[in-house]
Parts: sequence; C-alpha cells; structure tokens
Amino acid sequence: MGRSMGRKIKKKGKRYFDYSLLFVVIFICGFGLVMIYSTSSYTAQLTYGNSEYFFFKQLQADLLGFLAMYFMYRVFDYHYFQRRWAVAIFILSIISILAIIPFGTEVNGAKRWIYLGTVSFQPSELAKFATIVMTAVGICAIGNKINKLRYVFLVWLIIGGLLGVMVYAITSNLSSAIIIFGISFVMTFVAYKGYKIYMVLIAAFTAAFAAFYTWLTNMVKSGNMTDSFRLNRFLIWLNPEKYMEDKGYQTVQALYAIGSGGLFGKGLGKSLQKLGFIPESQNDMIFSIICEELGLFGAICVILIFVLMLWRIVHIAQNAPDLLGTLIATGVFAQVAIQVILNIAVVTNTIPNTGVSLPFISYGGTSSVFLMAEIGVVLNISSQIRLEK
Amino acid sequence: MNELNFEVKTRHRKKLFLMCMCVLLTMLLLSVRMGYLMIVESDYYLARAEELHERERKIKAARGRILDTNGVVLAANKTVCTISVIHSQVEEPERVSEMLASELGMNLEDVKKKVQKLSSIEKIASNIDKETGDKIREYGFSGVKVDEDYKRYYPYDTLASKVLGFTGSDNQGIVGLEAKYDSVLMGDNGKILTLTDAWGVEIEGSEENRQEPIAGSDLYISMDYNIQMYAQQLAERAMQEKQAKRVSIIVMNPQNGEIKAMVNVPEYNLNEPYELIPEPVYEQETKDGETKSDTAQQTDTSVLTASTHMDQLNNMWRNFCINDTYEPGSVFKMFTATTALETKAVSLSDTFNCCGYAMVADRRIRCAKTTGHGQEDFTHSVMNSCNPAFIEWGRRVGTERFFQYLGKMGVLTKTGIDLPGEATTIMHKQENVGEVELATMSFGQSFQITPIMMLRIASTVVNGGRLVTPHFAVKTMNADGQTVQEYTYENANQAIEPETSATMREILRQVVENGGGNKAYIEGFSIGGKTATSEKLPRGTGKYISSFIGFSSVENPQIIAMCLIDEPQGVYYGGTISAPVIRQLFENILPYLDISE
Repeated sequence: MGRSMGRKIKKKGKRYFDYSLLFVVIFICGFGLVMIYSTSSYTAQLTYGNSEYFFFKQLQADLLGFLAMYFMYRVFDYHYFQRRWAVAIFILSIISILAIIPFGTEVNGAKRWIYLGTVSFQPSELAKFATIVMTAVGICAIGNKINKLRYVFLVWLIIGGLLGVMVYAITSNLSSAIIIFGISFVMTFVAYKGYKIYMVLIAAFTAAFAAFYTWLTNMVKSGNMTDSFRLNRFLIWLNPEKYMEDKGYQTVQALYAIGSGGLFGKGLGKSLQKLGFIPESQNDMIFSIICEELGLFGAICVILIFVLMLWRIVHIAQNAPDLLGTLIATGVFAQVAIQVILNIAVVTNTIPNTGVSLPFISYGGTSSVFLMAEIGVVLNISSQIRLEK
Repeated sequence: MNELNFEVKTRHRKKLFLMCMCVLLTMLLLSVRMGYLMIVESDYYLARAEELHERERKIKAARGRILDTNGVVLAANKTVCTISVIHSQVEEPERVSEMLASELGMNLEDVKKKVQKLSSIEKIASNIDKETGDKIREYGFSGVKVDEDYKRYYPYDTLASKVLGFTGSDNQGIVGLEAKYDSVLMGDNGKILTLTDAWGVEIEGSEENRQEPIAGSDLYISMDYNIQMYAQQLAERAMQEKQAKRVSIIVMNPQNGEIKAMVNVPEYNLNEPYELIPEPVYEQETKDGETKSDTAQQTDTSVLTASTHMDQLNNMWRNFCINDTYEPGSVFKMFTATTALETKAVSLSDTFNCCGYAMVADRRIRCAKTTGHGQEDFTHSVMNSCNPAFIEWGRRVGTERFFQYLGKMGVLTKTGIDLPGEATTIMHKQENVGEVELATMSFGQSFQITPIMMLRIASTVVNGGRLVTPHFAVKTMNADGQTVQEYTYENANQAIEPETSATMREILRQVVENGGGNKAYIEGFSIGGKTATSEKLPRGTGKYISSFIGFSSVENPQIIAMCLIDEPQGVYYGGTISAPVIRQLFENILPYLDISE
C-alpha cells in the first residue's frame, strides 16, 4: 500500500475529520436523551417526585462524555497508549474491579458500582476500554508473533481472559464478560493471519449450542425438566410466559411492548409498558419502549443509525495510518456492534436474557462516558489519516 | 514515529470487511425477528398488553326510588363520597392528614397512619355526605381522591321500615320490598375501562371506554304516606298507653288487596338498620320484678356475642304481619259464621241457649261470659262472640265442610303478598280433627295464621266473597316517566256467595253498633267489625294479643283495617283497647278517603 508508517501528519488545513461519525454520535446521544426522558419521566416522578431525574443525570454524563471525547480527540494522541498508557489503564481497571470487593455498592442485588462521593462508577465499563487499548497495544508490541496461534491465545488469556473472568467472578456480570471476550476475539481475528482457527471455533460453538438446544427442548417436551437454577435462564428463554410471575416477567413485558408497537408505534411518549410494567425501562430494556413508541419503522431507523456509525468506524479502521489505529478502531467497532446486537437480541428474546445496555441510548453514565471517550480516540485516529494529493 | 508501528495490510482490511458483513447480517436477522414480533405477533401481544393495562371500574346505576300512591318518595338515593389517598401522589402528607382529620372529624393519628401507609390507594372514609366531599375536593391537595357514589336514603327514617326494608353496602336489597323488587330497582351497572400503570393507578388524560349505567325503575306502591304515618302514630300511642310489646296496624282495600298502610311498632330507623332499637322500658305501673328483668336485658346487650346480636337484628327487622303466625281468636268467628251461613248449616233465625259453657267430649269449654248469654239468635251469637254458640255452629258445619271452606278461602295456602318470608298457616291435619279440635277451631284457637291472612279472610267475608291478593307494588316507571310494568293480581276468585257476604256485613255492623265492637263506632259512618282477645301460648302466662278488624262502609267496603296489640298490660280485651285504635284511624282516614255512608 501507498501508506508508509505513521508520521506526523497534522499539517495545517490538511486535517481529516470524520464529521459523519461525530454527527451520528451526537444524534444518537440526543435521541437517547429523548428516549430516556420518555421512558423514565413517569416512574421518576413517582419515585423521586422529579420527572427529569434520570434525564438530567444522563445529560450530565453525556456532557462529561463529550468533554472526554474532545480530550481524546484533541489532546490525547492515540499513540500515547503505547507509552505505557495502555498498561496504566489496564492495571487501573484491574484495581478498580478488585476495589469492588471492599468498596462496591449493591444496586438491585448486584454489586457492580463504586461510589466516589455522589458519582457512581462501573469498573466493567473501564474494563471494556482497557481491553480495547491493551489488546491493540499488545498485538503491536508482539509484532509478527501474532501470526502464531499460541500468541493469539496468550493475548486472549492475559487481556480479555483476565479482565473478563474478573468481571464475571467479582461482579457476576456475565454480559460484560461476554463483551470483553468478544472484543478480544474480534480484535485478534482482524490481527491474525489465518481464518481456520476462527472457523473451527465458531463451528464448534455452533455445534455445541445446537446440541444443547436440542437436548433442552427435548427435556422440556418430555417433561423431565426440573427447574434448575443454572438452566433457568434458558427455560425462560424458551417459554417466557410460563415464568411470567417470576424471572420471565421482564422478558414478557418487553415482548408486550415490542408487539404492541406494530408498524409505526403508538407515538413518542405514548408507551404504556414504561409505566412500571417494565422495571427501569430506561436501562437495558429501552429498545422495547422504542419499538412500542416508534414501531418497527423507528426501530429499524435506530438500527440503521448504528449501522452508519459502525460503517464510519470501520472506514476509519480501514484507513488508519497504522495497525495500532486500525486495531483500536476495530475494538471500538466490536464493542458497539456486540452491545447493539446482544441488546436487541435480548429484548426480542432471540437469546436468553442477560443485561446488556444499548450503547449511547440506555441510561448509564459510566458507559456513556467511556463510549464517547472511545469515539474520541477513533476521531483522533481519523484525524491522523493522511489525505492523499 | 516508532518501530512498534506496523503497516495496515490488505488482510486486515479484508478481515475488517468480513467482520462488518457478519455484523450487518446479524442485524438483518434481528430486523427480521423484530418484523415477526411487530407484524405477525403484534395482535397477540397487543391484546395481552391491553388486558394488563385496562382496568374495569364499575359505575353504579342509580337505584330506583320507592314512591307511595300519591308520589311521596319513601326511599330515595343521595350522593355520598368515598375519600381515599393515593400514596405515591401525596405531596404534603402532614397537611393532607390534618385537613382530612379536621374535615372528617377523625383522629389525626389514625388518618396519618393511613396517609403514610405504603399502598397504592388507601380508603380513608366512606359514606361522607356530598358537602364535605366537595369541600375536601376544593382544597385541591394532590393524591386525595373523592369518589361519588349513591347511597340509599329513607326520608322518613322509621316510616314503614318493616315493609320497605333497606339495602346493603352494594345497594342490594336485604329485606322487605327492597329485597322483593331488587331486580327492578337495581338497574344495570355501567363500567369504565381505564388505562392504569403497573401499580393500578389510573393514567390521567387517557381515553376512557365508557358504558353508561341504566338507572333502576321507580317502584310505585299502594301505600299512602298519610295513612301510614297516622297509623304509626296511633300504634305508637297504643303501645305506650298499653305498655305493649308491639302493635301492628294494617290498612287495606278489601276490594283489590291494595295495602294502604302496614305498621309494626316499634319500627327501626331505615337509615341506621344495624343499630338495635332499645327495648321499651316501662317504668310506671309495672311490677318491680319486671322492671328489674328489663334492666337486666339492657346490660346483657353489651356482652352479646355476634350471633345473638345478629338474631336481635333479624328480630328487629321482622314484619310480624306476615313473618309470624298467631292464634286469631274471635275474629276468626267471621270465618265460622260465614261458612255456617254459606253451607246453610245454620240459618239466621236459628237460636242457641248459652249457659256459660259447653261440653265437648269430656271437656268443659267456658264462655267469656261465665253466667252465660242465655237465649240468642245467630246474629247475637256473633255480637256476643259467644264461644258455646260457635262450637255449635262449627259442629253443624262439620269437619269436612269446615276444611273445604278453609281451602276455598285460601287459609291453607299463602296469601301471596309481595313481601319476602310470608309464614304459612299452621293447621291441624283434617284426619286428626276430632270434636275438641273442631270446637276450638270454630272460635279461632288451636291453629295459627298470619295477621295478613286473617285480614284477607275478613276481606273475602265483606267484599262480596272474592279472594284478593294483598299487595304493595302497583307499577314501575323508568327514569323518563314511562310505565315499565303494571302489576296485576289475582282477586276475582269467588270463594263465597255475594249474598252470604252481604248478610255477614250486616251482622258485623251489628257487632260495632250494638255488640262487642261498639268502641269502634263513629256516628255518621257505617262501620262493621269484629273483636278478638287471644291468649298467647303457653296459656296461663297472662299474655294476650288483642285485636280488632273493622271495615267501612258496610254497604260497599272500601277500607278494612286491623289492629293487633301484643302483650298489653292491664285491660286486654280487643273490644276495649284495639277497637278504639281503629275508630281513631277511621275518624281520620274515612273523610280523607271520602268514604261515607
């Protein structure tokens, strides 16, 4: 290719900037705020006597996120990650996860947050960010050795594996662990030379799941299934309405919301399921309210906007000045894509229920700040693309 | 920049592109899944969700009123309010509690507890009158709900309590006409389907699906408020004067069975049907022992168990005129005399020599006049209410014909009055009736009938021989003033010949003008009647029921009235204490009804 190694390319007037990505992010954040207000205002009024409670908290987080984005874009050259910054972030994320054990705060029965004064912080979000930069820096550090399979495994094990297992073990947050594994899987896939091992892994996983699924449905059909705790998640997935009174409640309510949306929805703000039927509908289940209010049309528009965002990130990854930039952008792409897919799949009961937030839209400060920071990094990468001519 | 930076190779781009395609494919599949849920399954989920969101709220239909023959409202509805708080919407619990406590006159602590209780909606008070409800609404506190509702209301409290009956908390009739005509009065409840949130709180501004209620029909009854009111006053006075346990008065049109008044004192307050009325305590002229036992009963009330409390309430609600039976005594001689004349077993010219007693089988049955009435003809035997004479008339009729006429005159069945719980006649089996039984039956003893049955027998005797159905309901009218239903009753069954009836009317006139019923005589009016004094069972306790049945006019009876005084103190002869009550009644209502000679 015509591009040489990344050199100083910030020449006056020749700076590339991906406005499309910026505007897509701004649009999604704005849309997210509207939906958060729509979904949470009723319950916020009941609980806090303030219908804008969640809206303003998210607005603060979004503004902080934009600051972080601007900082990562303007001040923090992504090559700084190679100067120990990635390692520092990696270690910091390990420490913060460990800090949950003594300092964590339990919310809704899950110990996943650390409170610093009035600001809450979710270490698993930092872990995702750390996975992206550490994997990218790691792969660049080992150079061509990444083409040896055992180094691929090593990268998985040391970075994604360590963080993922810690997140799962300490916060029992399965979905974040899956996302962390997923990010590292996608990044090594792009970096690694061959395809075979990935094909084998995907085939093996598919086969294993097919076998499990067949076994499970047969067990349920024959009535041999006792309600075991470990398999509950899967049993609810197969027949959520049977478990409606208990763990299946959220899933069924989400399906009611989606189903009652129809083609064009009930109209913005007119959801009924958000009135306490879907608990904390501004969180992971926000997409079901989008479906109810805006219909299939609105839901597909949201998916298309995410596709647009992913396309811009992939575009930047393709044209990044060096492998580090490509890998970081790939990591961000992976995180956004995995979260969007998992979230919609969970909400539509396509896969068993696990709490995944919808990037930039679901309520959650830490997630928004880190996602925006990641977009800032991607914008920084884009600004270093050398324009030809 | 530094040696660690590697070039982006084509394979990286290819892999990225592949990744991108995978993501796109997955999203496409998810879109298909969404399309399936939101188009194919949409109806199912929408229906299930609506089921979850909609709440049905009943709108009570206004209950039909009960009006007397002149349109006086005897039972009406008034608007009452139910006050409740919605916990999550209350903004100033302190001020709300204080306001509610002072407006409703409730204990502040109790109200506070209810306001602060963690429930979606908490009822503070119900049956609050509309004025207070409006006042509370005007405060405009958020979270305070004032719901309007109908409550049965009886403008005259105790008037005809045992006839009208009352309604329960759901506005359903419990006793009396309210129960009998419940289906007519009730109407059809409407409903509102409203959308609610997960806690069941209605969503403001959401569309309501409303189904309007249909008000119940008004029931017009034959009762005349004026007669009922006057009869009640007379009964209360008689009860007080005679220190009786209770006094009943029935006023009826003997031609068609329309009841104009039915009084049973003591009457209870229809607006407070669960409050026991205190037992009448008569201080003066009672023996010391009895006064004590009365006070003892009073103290007992406070330690009553629930079941006896309910028994007492049931007893208070009882309509003695139809729910209880008694031995009619001498008024029943109307029947024996009529049967004797009708069967021609006795003629008017037949005479009887009363020596003060009669021997039946081995028993000696005494006449009221122990010295005997001497020689008397048929008419005088009725005027004298001579038991030995009637034993003879009964004997001449014979058991078979006696029972035949009991059947003809409807004594063996119910009158069919339109009130719930009519008691049946307690009568000997025909095959068990011997000389003694026939003799006692002839002067109205050894069997029991209801007062309303006795009144119907008397009506048949004087109205030309037709069997009428005593009743209240005349017609129902809907809210628009259109008649929904006119009630018709069987009253054309000819039980006895009109001539016999005419003869009996003359004899009964003699009873009032020259015989035992002379205390019912009013100059200028033609009145007939018969007295009775029946000793209550068990005999020998000195408890009597004194009664009198009178009618007017003799030529064309338009009104027949009966007065029963249960357990009078002192003088207990029907002719002495019951006949004057009917006389006072007639003195007022005969001119009022425009009945004269």
